[in-house]
Amino acid sequence: MTLRGCAVGSRLEVCRVTGGRRHRRRLIELGFVRGAVLSVIGRGTMGGLVLALGDSRIAVDSFTAETLLVKPAHV
Amino acid sequence: MSERPLTRLVLEKPCCDADAPGVDEGHARVALVGNPNVGKSTLFNILTGARQRVGNWPGKTVSVARGTWRTPDGEMTLIDLPGTYSLLPDSPDEALTRDLLVDRGMDDRPDVVVLTLDCSNLARNLYLLAQVMETGVPIVVALTMVDIAEGRGIRVDADRFAELIGAPVVPVVPRQNRGLDALRAAVAGALAARRPPGEPDLGEDVETVLADVAALLPADALLRYPERWLATALLTGETVPGVPEEVGARARALGAGLLADDGTDDLGGLDDLDDLEIIVAEQRYAWAHRLIAETVRRKNDVRATVSDRVDRLLTSRWVGLPIFFLVMWGVFILTTKIAAPLQTGLQDLIDGPVTTGAAHALRGMSAPGWLSGLVLNGIIGGVGQLLSFVPLMAIMFVLLSVLEDSGYMARAAFVVDRLMRLIGLPGRAFLPLVVGFGCNVPALAGTRILADRRHRLLTGLLIPFVSCSARLTVYVLVAGVFFGSNAGTVVFAMYVLSIVLVVGMGLLLRGTLFRGMSYEPLVLDLPPYRLPTLRVIGTQTWQKLWAFLRTASGLIVATVTVVWLFASIPAGGGHGGFGRTPIEHSLFGSTARAVAPAFAPAGFGDWHPSAALITGFVAKEAVVSTVAQTYSMSEPSDNHRAGSLGPAMRQTFERTSHGHPIPAVLAFMVFLLAYTPCMTTVAAQRAELGGRMTLFGIGMQLVVAWLLAVAVFQIGALFL
Repeated sequence: MTLRGCAVGSRLEVCRVTGGRRHRRRLIELGFVRGAVLSVIGRGTMGGLVLALGDSRIAVDSFTAETLLVKPAHV
Repeated sequence: MSERPLTRLVLEKPCCDADAPGVDEGHARVALVGNPNVGKSTLFNILTGARQRVGNWPGKTVSVARGTWRTPDGEMTLIDLPGTYSLLPDSPDEALTRDLLVDRGMDDRPDVVVLTLDCSNLARNLYLLAQVMETGVPIVVALTMVDIAEGRGIRVDADRFAELIGAPVVPVVPRQNRGLDALRAAVAGALAARRPPGEPDLGEDVETVLADVAALLPADALLRYPERWLATALLTGETVPGVPEEVGARARALGAGLLADDGTDDLGGLDDLDDLEIIVAEQRYAWAHRLIAETVRRKNDVRATVSDRVDRLLTSRWVGLPIFFLVMWGVFILTTKIAAPLQTGLQDLIDGPVTTGAAHALRGMSAPGWLSGLVLNGIIGGVGQLLSFVPLMAIMFVLLSVLEDSGYMARAAFVVDRLMRLIGLPGRAFLPLVVGFGCNVPALAGTRILADRRHRLLTGLLIPFVSCSARLTVYVLVAGVFFGSNAGTVVFAMYVLSIVLVVGMGLLLRGTLFRGMSYEPLVLDLPPYRLPTLRVIGTQTWQKLWAFLRTASGLIVATVTVVWLFASIPAGGGHGGFGRTPIEHSLFGSTARAVAPAFAPAGFGDWHPSAALITGFVAKEAVVSTVAQTYSMSEPSDNHRAGSLGPAMRQTFERTSHGHPIPAVLAFMVFLLAYTPCMTTVAAQRAELGGRMTLFGIGMQLVVAWLLAVAVFQIGALFL
C-alpha cells in the first residue's frame, strides 16, 4: 500500500520509494530507505502529511505520500 | 557481518592531495559543510564575527559567505558552503559543494572541511558524513545541537566516534562559546597532518564491486578525482565531467550482480540499474546506524512531544491556514504601524534641524550656491532618505529572522503548498515571495531554495510584483495627500493588488512561457521549534541591514545627486545659469517632459509624476525626494516644501486628468507598484536569472504597469 490515506498515529515500514529519479533521491537523502520505520503524526490540507522518521519531522504532500510504498511496522 | 570494521582507516597515505599547492602564506581555507538547519551559519558567524563578506562564488551563481577566522596560530579563511543533505548535485548550490570537495581542477579548494553534524538527528547527518569521507578530504567533525540532544536524553561518545571515523570530533555549543577552542585546535591539527579520514564500509558485496570498478578507472580521471568517490559516483550512475560515458556504463554493468542478489519481494524488489543508487544509499544508512549503535546512548525513547503537539495544531487542516494568514498579517502590521512613525520622525529630523543647521553653516562659510545645492539637496537629502529607511528594514529583518529561526517558516511553506500550486510553484516558493514584501533583492537571492531552474525563473520574474517596503513610502506620501483618513485603506488595497498581480501573472506565465513545467513534489524537513535567541537575531539583522546600507547608499546618494545635477543644468531655451534655472527648464525637466505624453492616457501626463517615475526606476526610496525636489525647486522662494507639496500635487493631477484626479492618482500608484522596483533588483535579477530573462522581465513589467494604469484611469474616470 502507499502512504497516502494512512491514518494519523499509524506506524509503518518503508518498502520502496517510487517516482522520478530526483524525487527518489531526495527522499532517500532524508532517510526514506527500505526498512526505515516512520509514523504519521499529523494531517494537513489536501492530503498532506507530517511524518516522524527517526528524530526528523518531515512534511510531504499527497503526491509524495503516493510514491512511498509501506507496510505496517511490526513493533 | 558485524565483524567487518566500520571504516577502513587510510593511515599509510600521507595526504590526499600531496601534489596540490600547499597552504599559501598561512591563509589556510577551511570550508563548513552540513545539512540545512544544523547551526552551521551560527558557528560561522561566531567564529568570524564581523570579518566576513557574502558574494557569488567566482564564475557561479551560488552565494557563499567567506570570513576570516583569527586564531592564536594565525588567520584562516572560513567558507560557509550552502547547506546540503548529500553530495549528489541537484541544485547549483549542491554542485558547488561537491565540485569543491572532489574536483582537483577547481580553484580555491578547501584544505580542511569542518562538517557540522546535528547530534539530535544524527542518522541523516551521518549519511552526508559518509559521502564526504568518500572524497578523502581531511575533515574535522563539529557536533552541534549538543544541548538539544542532551535535553532529549541523547549522549554521543565523541572520542569513540573520532576513533571509528579516523578524524577528530568536537562537540560545540557556539552560542555559549563551548568547544570553540577545541575546534580550533582540531582544525590546526588537521591542517598540519593533512590526513584523509577513514573510508566508510558499505558491506562486503558493494565493497567488492567498488574494487572492481576502481580497476576500470582511467588514469587521467584519477589525477582529477579521488578514486573512492569516483568509483561510487560511476556505480550509482552519475555522469562525471571528463570521464567517458562508456566507463560509467561498464561500472554499472559490474553492479548488476548486486541487484540480482536482492530480495524477490514484489514491493521491495530492486531490478533496474538506476536502483544501484538506492542500494548504495541503503548501505550508507546501514553504516550510519552501526556507527550510532557504537557511539550513542539514549536514556529514554521519549521524543520531543511538545514540538509534535504544536505541529498538530499549526499544520492541521482547519487551523493551519488561518494561523498562517494571521502571522502574515502580524508581519504586515508591525512593519507598517510601528515603522511608519519612526520613519516620519527621522525624516522630519533630517528635513528640519539637520538641513537648517547645514544651510546655516554653509551660509556662514559663504559657500557658493552650487555647493549648498549639492550638500543640501544631493547629499543630505539622499542620506536622509536612506536613514529614514533603516527602521523599516530592521523590523522586517528581525521578523524574518524570528520566523526562520523559530522553525515556523518551514510549516508555513507546508501550509500554503496547495495555494502556491495554483500558479505552478511549490510551497517553498512562498518564502522568497514573502521576503519580497520586505525587499525584492534578498527575495531574489532566496529563489535558490528551489531546485528546479524553471521554478527559479518563474519565481524570479514574479518577485518584482511583490510590493516591497520601499514602495510603501511612496504609497504613504501619495495616499496621505489625496485620500486623507482613507489613506490606510488605499495602501492596503495596493498590497491586495500586488498579490492579485503575482497570482495573475503566475497563471499567465504558466499557461504560456512556462507551459509543461515539471511538478516538484513537496518534501520538507521541519526543524524542531526553537526559541530564537537575541544574539542570533541581532547578528543576522545587523548583517542584512549593513549589506542593505552598503549596496543602497551609493546608489541612492548618486541618484539624488544626479537628479539634482540634471535639474541644475539649463536645457533648450532655459534661462539663468547653472543652478539658477527653474527645474522645469532644466535637463531633467525636459527629459521628464519628453516622457510625459506616454502617461496621458493614464491621466498623469505631466512632467512632475514622470520625473518621479524616472528616479523610481533607479530606487523607489528616491521617489519621494524627487517629488519634493521638483515642486520645491519650481518655487524658489519657498522653504516650507512640506506644507505646499500637497496642494501642488493635487493641482497637477487635477489638471492632467481633466477633473478626475482620484483615478489618475490611483493609476499612478498602480504603475508605481508594477514597474521595475529599482536598479538593485535589476542587478539581482541579472545575477539569478541571466541577462535575457531580466530584460524580458523589465519589458513585461513596463507593459503590465502601463496597461493597468491606463485601465484604472479610463474605467475610474467613468465613475469618479
